[in-house]
Formats: sequence, C-alpha cells, structure tokens
Amino acid sequence: MSNDLQKNMLKKLLLRTSHRSRLWAALAALFIGTTLLLLSVMIWSNFNELLYGKKQNDTLGSTFMIIGKRVTEQNMGVANATIFSQMEIDSLKLAPQVQDVGVISSNHFPIYATLGGRLAFATDMVLEAVPDKFLDNMPAEWAWEPGNRNLPIIVSSQFLDIYNYVFAPSQGLPQLSETSVKNIALTMKVGSGDNTETFIARVVGFSDRIGSVLAPQAFIDYGNKKFGKPGDKLSTSQIILKAKDPSDVQFGNYLEKHDYTTNSQNMRWSKIRAIVEVVTSATGILALLLMGIGTLVFILFIELTIARAQHSLTLLLQIGYSPHYLSRFMTGRFLPMVLGTVIAALIVTIAGQVAASVLVLKQGLVLPAIPGWPVWAALVISTGILVLLVSRSISGAIKKQ
Amino acid sequence: MPLREKVNTYQSGIWKSNLTLNQGEYVFVQAPSGTGKTTLIHILYGLRRDYEGEVNWAGINFTATDKETVAGLRTNGLSVIFQDMRLFPELTALENIEIKRRLTNTVTTEQAQEWLDRLGLKEKKNSLAATMSYGEQQRVAIIRALLQPFAWLLMDEPFSHLDHANTAKAIALVAEVVKERKAGMILADLDENNFFPYTKTIML
Repeated sequence: MSNDLQKNMLKKLLLRTSHRSRLWAALAALFIGTTLLLLSVMIWSNFNELLYGKKQNDTLGSTFMIIGKRVTEQNMGVANATIFSQMEIDSLKLAPQVQDVGVISSNHFPIYATLGGRLAFATDMVLEAVPDKFLDNMPAEWAWEPGNRNLPIIVSSQFLDIYNYVFAPSQGLPQLSETSVKNIALTMKVGSGDNTETFIARVVGFSDRIGSVLAPQAFIDYGNKKFGKPGDKLSTSQIILKAKDPSDVQFGNYLEKHDYTTNSQNMRWSKIRAIVEVVTSATGILALLLMGIGTLVFILFIELTIARAQHSLTLLLQIGYSPHYLSRFMTGRFLPMVLGTVIAALIVTIAGQVAASVLVLKQGLVLPAIPGWPVWAALVISTGILVLLVSRSISGAIKKQ
Repeated sequence: MPLREKVNTYQSGIWKSNLTLNQGEYVFVQAPSGTGKTTLIHILYGLRRDYEGEVNWAGINFTATDKETVAGLRTNGLSVIFQDMRLFPELTALENIEIKRRLTNTVTTEQAQEWLDRLGLKEKKNSLAATMSYGEQQRVAIIRALLQPFAWLLMDEPFSHLDHANTAKAIALVAEVVKERKAGMILADLDENNFFPYTKTIML
C-alpha cells in the first residue's frame, strides 16, 4: 500500500465535515482581507513612489520651495513685517522635513535694462541671487567677479513660456527658442547719479525652480555694497527651502502656524497625500478586520473538524500515532487552502499594479510593473502570521486530546 | 512507590504494593469483574494518569513524560489489545490493520494478510469493522497489536468474544509472535486460561 492510501485513511478518519459553506466563507473572507491589505499597501507604496521616486519628474518630486511671510491687511505697510529675522531662519532649519535653508537676496540698487533692435524695450529690473546649491540648473558660464562686464543671468522658464504663448502672439512678435534667447545681449545700467556701471547681461540658463531673474551671488553682494544706499540694512524677505517631504502634514502645519506662504502646488500634494493616507489606512484597517474574521472563522472550522474527529484522533494517538505526526497531517491539509487564498490575492494585486503602471504612464509618470517591497513585506508578514496561527491552532487542538 | 488509584476504589493486592516485571515474563492478572483489571491495563499503557505512584517502562515514567515520548513507546515498546477492541468502525478490517502497520512496517502486508487468513478472517478483509461481529473485531484487534515491535504486550480480556477453537488459534499466534520478539506479556482475565503459558500469576 502506498503512503497515499495511509493519507486517504487518515483523511477518511479526520476530515469528515458537512460544513463546507463555512469553509468557503472563511476562505472568501481571508481572500478579500488579504487582497484589500495588499492593495492598500500597494496604493500607499505607489503614492510614495510618485512623490519621492527618482524616476518622477519635478512636478511631484520637487523638494525645493520658496517661502515668504504672508502680506495681510494688518501688516500692509508695516516696516519689516515680512522680513525674516535670523532667529526665524535658524528656527526654519529645525522645522519638520527641512533639510537645508537658503536666503534669497535681491538688489538694493537701481538696475535699468535696455534692448535694441526689433524687440526693443527698456525697463527697471530686479535681480535675485540664491546659493548655488539651490539651483536646478548650473550653466558652465555661471560665474562673476568684480571687473567683469559680462553678467550671466538665469531666467525663469515661465517667463519664456509667457512670452512665447501669450505676449508674442498678441503683439505680433516672433516667438523665441531658448537658444535664441541666450544670444540676446541686454545692456544693464547699474547704480544712480555718478555712481554707475554698465554690464552686458546674457541669459545662460532657465530655471523651473525659481520664478524670477537670477544673477550670481557675487554680483548682488558687489552691487549692494557699491551701489546701495549707505546705511541701508540688507534684509531677507524670501527663503528657499530644501524639504525632504514638502507634502508632509506636519510641515504644512508648521508653515500655516507661522503664516508663511509658499508654492501652492506642494501644499496641494499635502492635502492629496493626507486623503490617500486616510483612505489607505481605513482600507488597511478594514482589511485587517476582514483577515482577522476570516482567520477566526477558518480556525473555528479547523477546531470543529478536529472536534468531530475526536474519537478517531484519540484512537490514533492510542495506537501509537504521535501528536506531531497528526498535526503535520492536518496542517498539510489546511495550509494549502490558506496559501491558495494568499496567492490568489497576490495575483489580483500584481494585476492591479500592472494596471496602475499603465494608467499613470499616460500621465507621464512612471510606476514599476511589479509591486514594491512594502507589498512583498506585507505579504510575507501576513502569510507568516496566518501560517503560525493555523499551525498553532491545529497542534493545540490535537494536544488537547 | 506503591501504585494507588486516587479514588481508592481498589484497596488490596497490586494497588498497595510494588511490582517489578522482568523482560520476557508471561504474567497472568486474574481477578473477578470490577476489581480493576482494565484500570490496571490502562494505567500500564499510559491511558490513565489519575493514580499515585509510578509506572516505569525502561525508565520512562508516564506521569513525567511528554506525549511524543509516550507515542514512541506505544509504537516501539508497548502494544495493547483492548477489551473493547477500539477499531475504527469506518475502516475495513484490512485498513484497520494497515493504518497501524504503516507506522513501523515491522510486518509486511502479505504477512498481516496471512495472519488474517490464519484467524479465519480471509473473507472479511474488506468488510467495514462496524459490520463485523465482536469475535471478528477481537481477532482484528489481536492482529493489530502484533504489527509493531514491542517489549511488552498488554492484553485486557482479549479472547472474551472468541469460541474455544478461535481462542486456541489466537493464543498460538500471540505466543508465536511474542516469543519471536523475545517480549513479555501481561494478560488480564477473569479465569485461568488453559491455553496461556503464563509464568507468574497476580491476583487482584
């Protein structure tokens, strides 16, 4: 006789049950619970990938933001109301999620720019400077020292967009490529009265991060010292931050509390992230509840089966079968059912991940086609707990005999 | 330490004294009904633990050992024929044999079937135990007890449902296997059995 026959005999003795519906209900609850758990972890993981993943463009993954103090009805016209003190700058360095803080300085001296030719214009200008490490684009020409008549500048790419798509068509002017803009030479007259200098400014790059015209820090410092009003105290009204997670709720609360204004897009992500966290947490809790109920019903089913086979079980132990052997036999019968539901849940999750990656690709975002490690970790942990609970309940019920 | 049943139903003989059995002895425990024969066999086989004192089988004390060790003892050192047979009613005679035989494979299927033939159960191999007479069930239980290695065979009124001829055949088979295994046996019964070659008698 083969081992199969022995197993068939044990099956005949130990696995008699008429409550198939309970078994299916338990397995269905386990399947739904495990699927929901894996899907909620997958959604949470994907959202994090979209926010912080290296494959994303700057739209979601931006970690730089410019903040200023909010101008209100109350502080309008109040001197220094929107100026950052050194204490406030130091405090910002310790704020949640903040990794680095940079002061944005601007010119405290007159700048008058002119351009000849078909695009002729003349205007007062404002230049700003940020520490180089905060630049998203560092052109090779980005350097200036006193005595140099050529001034490199970086312009917000939004300016070019506004010119090309709004201003030029309405005025019948030609649209300009980035290369052609870089060939334009602006004449900048700096200072006033007898204390003036003239520079030739050229655009050497475009920035998606800074929304103004940037000059090298050395030029702003030189100009403020040489052309600024004597005794004029330089002040900081804007700060650039490198934040690990600009969408962090605590970070948002910090800005809110101090009445700092910032790029609204980052704060929008903060709200979306909060919503995603609430939804995934609620789904996760529901999933754990369902898994718990499924596991409980499944374990009750196992205990009922063992109770119904009590007579045979006792007799098997009396004729020499060891509790360990019988536990292994019973576990071998029930565990494949548990693993089957877990594998089915994993298949659904993988299908969901593939669908998500295809869906976001249409939006220009990238997600991997297979679930991330948090999903696998949740799978391993939940399966481990399930296997442990089922095995222990079987061996416990058999040892009671 | 003397064996003593906790409820103190039994007050005399073995229940208040020490008993040492030597390997290979054939012990006949004779006593009338209600004096504790089945209790003694159950205690010796480790089914009951509600007693004071100790039962030691080659150093294994039932009250101080785990269930796995007890299972090992029941598979390789100690076999039993229950008074109430304790077969699986939903299995056939052959399946009842096989489910025990496959634990140790000490005896081949062919030999087990030959023993069934020898005790007159050739035609009953595939009958469900539930449909067999007590006498037939008792013979299956006797064969089942012989399918494993053992140092001691415990028997609780094992021939009570057999006629004279079948008792003789069964005792002959038991004696043959016990001798081959160089084992000892303990028979608990009401009256002296002429066929049983005992070497020691204990009165309860």
